[in-house]
Amino acid sequence: MTIFNRNDNKPADSKPSAIDALQTPKPADQPRPQATAQPLSPPAKTGASMASVISKALKITGQLESTEDIQIDGEIDGDVRGVGVKIGNNAKVKGTVYGDEVELAGTIDGRIEAKKVILTGTARMSGDVSHQDIKIESGAFIDGNLKPDFGKTTGSKPAVAPFKPVAAVASSTPDKSADARH
Amino acid sequence: MFALSRRSDAGIAPARGGIDLPPSYFGAGLRVRGVLEIEGELTIQGFVAGRIAALKLIIAAGGRVEGDIVAREVVIAGNLNGRVFAPSVTVEESAHIEGRIFHNAITVARGAHFDGRMPWRPIVFFETLDQLPETQP
Repeated sequence: MTIFNRNDNKPADSKPSAIDALQTPKPADQPRPQATAQPLSPPAKTGASMASVISKALKITGQLESTEDIQIDGEIDGDVRGVGVKIGNNAKVKGTVYGDEVELAGTIDGRIEAKKVILTGTARMSGDVSHQDIKIESGAFIDGNLKPDFGKTTGSKPAVAPFKPVAAVASSTPDKSADARH
Repeated sequence: MFALSRRSDAGIAPARGGIDLPPSYFGAGLRVRGVLEIEGELTIQGFVAGRIAALKLIIAAGGRVEGDIVAREVVIAGNLNGRVFAPSVTVEESAHIEGRIFHNAITVARGAHFDGRMPWRPIVFFETLDQLPETQP
């Protein structure tokens, strides 16, 4: 029978001592056990105010919105909204790119709507460009219309649309598995 | 899509050794909705809603992710609402997590806010993870 009683007879002294042991730091201040061989470096430190970088290894199916600059070297299937958007040499965007300034050296299959547009010599643009100010370098490929009507259109959207509240963004996620995962 | 194919790299070897591609970085002002697939490292300081598949994922302090994560290594110092499938997981003290962490080796720092379960799985589980398990009640 005693096996069932466990330590229930003396909870008063066992509990506080356990808490004490937790709260007093061990004198040696031992290194925390780690899941990997890597040191637990604070990862947030690298480039706290740096613009966002989407490297060539990254593929996004969905939408990006940013209040900062974006450098895209990867592949995006969806719309991009940013302030300064740079689309690198091997990058591909399928969708509309909105921004104050859009610099294209890669491929866009869609639209550009920006105040200032730069198409470099390696750019491949399939679709219309709505701009106020455009620079096209020799070698750029354009299949579409260029219209200097950015900001004059009836919609007159701001370059960066105001963000929806977080809850609205989350609830409109197409991914069903994002709901009720507990 | 989600299987961590290279058997030798999984788990024991530090994931950084297998990463030769430049890391991606999502700044604080960036919001992304959708499916992300990265053959490398990604640091998130902004907001991501959707599914993420990466080699190494870092949710920096201030970053927020809603959705499922599949990676070889995950470091969480920010906000997460969702599930993690990774052999190696580190939860920093600034983390705020609701959900499940399927892991093979985990470190949880003192002070981390973690509400949920963290089931252990053998390495094979992560290598053969072709489809994410359905969420259970």
